Amino acid sequence: MTIDPLTEPSTLRADGLALRFGGTRALDGVSLRLTRGVTGLLGPNGAGKTTLLRVLATAVPADDGRFTALGHDPRTAAGRLALRRELGYLPQTPGFHPDFTAFEFVDYVAILKELTDRGARHREVRRVLDAVDLSDVRGKRLKRLSGGMRQRVALAAALVGDPGFLVLDEPTVGLDPEQRMRFRDLIAQAGEGRTVLLSTHQTEDVAMLCHRVVVLAGGRVRFEGTPAELTARAAGRVWSSAERAPGALAGWRTGMGTFRNIGAPPAGADLLEPTLEDGYLLALDGESAEVTA
Amino acid sequence: MSPTPATPDAPVTPAGPPATPLDEAPATGSGQPGERRRFRAVLALARFETHDLLTQIQILFFFALCLGLVVLQMVRQEGMDDYPILNMVDRDTQTVPPLFALAVLVCANAAALRSRKYGTVHQFDVLAMDSWRRTLAHILSVVPFAALTALLVLARYTREALKPGAIGHGSLGELVVGPLTVLLAGVVGVLLARLLPSSFTPILFVIVFYLAVVVASELAGQGKGWAWQWLSPVSLDSVPSGDPVPSDLLGRPAAWHALYLLGLCAVVACAALLLSGGRTRAVKAATALALATTMAGVIGQVPRDTAALEEARKVASETPLKVQSCTKYDGSTYCSFPEWNGVRDDWSGVVRRARSLAGGTAATRPLTIRQRIDVTGGVEQDSSLTALTTPGEVTVGTHWGGNRVPEFAVGVATVLVTGTEEATTGELCGDARAVTIMWLALGADPTPLATFRDVRLDDSDKGSAVILAPTSGFSLGADQTTVVRELLDRPRAEITERVKTHWTELTSASTTTAQAAKLLGVPVPKEAEKCEE
Repeated sequence: MTIDPLTEPSTLRADGLALRFGGTRALDGVSLRLTRGVTGLLGPNGAGKTTLLRVLATAVPADDGRFTALGHDPRTAAGRLALRRELGYLPQTPGFHPDFTAFEFVDYVAILKELTDRGARHREVRRVLDAVDLSDVRGKRLKRLSGGMRQRVALAAALVGDPGFLVLDEPTVGLDPEQRMRFRDLIAQAGEGRTVLLSTHQTEDVAMLCHRVVVLAGGRVRFEGTPAELTARAAGRVWSSAERAPGALAGWRTGMGTFRNIGAPPAGADLLEPTLEDGYLLALDGESAEVTA
Repeated sequence: MSPTPATPDAPVTPAGPPATPLDEAPATGSGQPGERRRFRAVLALARFETHDLLTQIQILFFFALCLGLVVLQMVRQEGMDDYPILNMVDRDTQTVPPLFALAVLVCANAAALRSRKYGTVHQFDVLAMDSWRRTLAHILSVVPFAALTALLVLARYTREALKPGAIGHGSLGELVVGPLTVLLAGVVGVLLARLLPSSFTPILFVIVFYLAVVVASELAGQGKGWAWQWLSPVSLDSVPSGDPVPSDLLGRPAAWHALYLLGLCAVVACAALLLSGGRTRAVKAATALALATTMAGVIGQVPRDTAALEEARKVASETPLKVQSCTKYDGSTYCSFPEWNGVRDDWSGVVRRARSLAGGTAATRPLTIRQRIDVTGGVEQDSSLTALTTPGEVTVGTHWGGNRVPEFAVGVATVLVTGTEEATTGELCGDARAVTIMWLALGADPTPLATFRDVRLDDSDKGSAVILAPTSGFSLGADQTTVVRELLDRPRAEITERVKTHWTELTSASTTTAQAAKLLGVPVPKEAEKCEE
């Protein structure tokens, strides 16, 4: 399915979301729009990604600002309920009931999503377990499954009930490359016809999966657009040098022994083809200590 | 298209046409669900949780244990069990469920804590079902275990009630205490999970609660006030003690206590819902109703007309005829409390058998059988009945079946032989009458030697011993024991003939045991021993 971000209607709109934890501004006036398809949420640790996801998943209310998703305003009880009925949420570190089987756990979540018809619910549970390729182990207790399998159970739990809005908080963390590839495929499928907000540290995930990307840092949105637009921002601002460039926003030694620098290149610099990561680092504008190595 | 460079204050958005208004955004859900649908979801979750509880080893173990105990009670073969007193059986059904309740409390608590323990609570908090509805599902999940307990109670009670010799009637108020105990335990388990979310809490609670119940039962036993007995959800002295008494003399506010327990279940459940955020109008109204029900239960249990109860007990103890009815069989009169009317036939059978072995006028002398109790000191202790002094009157107690049958036969035989129940140790020791009494009591018994042992306090058939009777009984010397044993070994017809022939001598206080032995044609004992004091 091809999604044109320019013509696709917004399914979520947030305006000025703010949230404080004590003296810390976790969210500082976040405004954004989401459409159908997978939107990547990039940002360094402490950027406020998880907080934003928790606000959008109605886990915590914002101190200020508002958002509507799928036409529902969660500030009212009815709107919150309506949104929750269409929400699939995979937290950063999902919990599991180890003595439940994979089927039981997803069935339990399905009940909490108020799928009341037992037969239909069980068919739905089987469908999502099949979608995440866990049909063979659905009768196994979660404590006997590998970490990757459990993560897929959590995704199945998020997908059960066919939610229109899927919030995924760093779902590929801790997975090996093969599992990560499998997960990307699952997320890409999930993004077909749904609004998916994918929080991640991995720019490759965004490059491979997302039709839109939001960069968050210091509780503020630093970029909102397509991955290509984010990459394009670094055009002419990435160069190679033999030594670390003193004026670079970020720079690191490559395997070739030269330095890859991002920022304002000096005259006559050896410009390089930008990547999404370069654009992301530029969007951070030096906010993250992790971007310089 | 080139995006605007991002700045901290201005998020970058791609240029292009304005987004479609959110009102027109595709809605994939089914919209606002009805309350009925939400409740169906709660029921579905309750069903899931019940199924999960059913797989818990503690639940299975304790249920199997309770089932075993109930089956054991049901298949127990004691004579008196053929004549169960239903107003005691109903209370007896309360002894086993607390064991099961313990397991239900611990497991319901663990189930309600599960989300917190395994870190799924935040995941679940963003799902459609509110936290307080999840709590409601946990509460409802223990209801089937209360129902299961009710089935056990019902099975036990029905089995006893269907016995042909069942006496009296049980109380629904007493019967529902067991299931309500299980329900209350489960609901308390859920409340504890919401109040003090730690897996140690239920264990600590059970220990503290047990100690509290022990203290309350002790204080209740010392008569320190009704509240210690009736406001404690579980009573350690629920095991019926003392002789059976007519239901209206029990003075147990069973129905009010059941209402109190039901109210308490509802109060605890509402507290759990409110703690979980269920501050809806319906929950608040239910809380008010639950509190009112509990208070009604408390007030209903307050002893009110104790003087009337004491007076009724006094009448039943001292002038029972005022509350009894009588029937005549074969010339004898049988008086009993109304709930024992069905046993009069059995009493008359014993009288008929004893008289059939007697001689002289005793064979046709009309007797008056009086059922007696002594509850002037309370209903929780065994009656100590003094012998009747009126000639021809025989005491019968409120227990029937088993050993009480030959004991009654001894009482009947005593009156047939001596004229009154006042046969004391001194009067019968060493003379023929004790032997004659034992023959009349046991001569027609199908297993006379075994029954002989049963009516002796020492359960033997040698030496001297106290013979049990509905009143004080009497002592049988070793020489008398020897003669009785010999008599019971001989053909019944032969001994009956001799007894009838020598009735006058055998019922005379001046006839010795040795003389009686000669008259009856059995070996004379070598020496007389002292009677048992």
